[in-house]
Amino acid sequence: MKNRLKVLRAERNWTQADLADGLDVSRQTINAIETGKFDPSLPLAFRAARLFGMPIEEIFHDPALDADGGSPVTEIRKDTYV
Amino acid sequence: MNQLKLPEKGYQSRIRASSIRLACWNAAWVAATFLMAFGPKFLWNKAVVLTLLAVGLDLAVGVGLILASKRYVAELDELQRNVYLNALGITVGVGLIASVPYSVMDIYDAIPFHADISHLVILMVFTFVVAHRYGTRRYK
Repeated sequence: MKNRLKVLRAERNWTQADLADGLDVSRQTINAIETGKFDPSLPLAFRAARLFGMPIEEIFHDPALDADGGSPVTEIRKDTYV
Repeated sequence: MNQLKLPEKGYQSRIRASSIRLACWNAAWVAATFLMAFGPKFLWNKAVVLTLLAVGLDLAVGVGLILASKRYVAELDELQRNVYLNALGITVGVGLIASVPYSVMDIYDAIPFHADISHLVILMVFTFVVAHRYGTRRYK
């Protein structure tokens, strides 16, 4: 999962430690999320969305959706329900 | 920064307090285990009542250690918890897999010494430390 945490953080002049404090996690966790080594849970992603005051999909997105421009989820639903 | 409802104490101070609590329980358990292991021989000349009391103390402190450990894991954030639980899983697996052949080797005299439970404890501690360090480095 890709994310814009680093960009959003830089726009606000926040350090990783500031963001970690805001999300109540360790700085290592913020670093791992920013570098794409760790995907946050849904509750943590929602907390980040609330902290930045923007929708969750503007912070986190699935790179699989970028590959073909389509929505794999939609295709799966079509296969499942048709 | 937009405000979220966060616990009064920050994550780092909570983890520090929780780590100190866990370290204290660990030290108490090691001390109680030493007392249980060596007390009968060196302190009370194998008096059964005192030995049973030492065993009871060791078990009670052990329960405290388990509860402190449970609380510590609950305090960890999701990445740290992931690393910690992975390390615990590897440790339990290594302990299980190593213990049976070790016991069999002792039964059939394939090793020149008596298989002692302390060897298993040392192996598990070593495994946990290595697995935890590996897990921490993986996310750096």
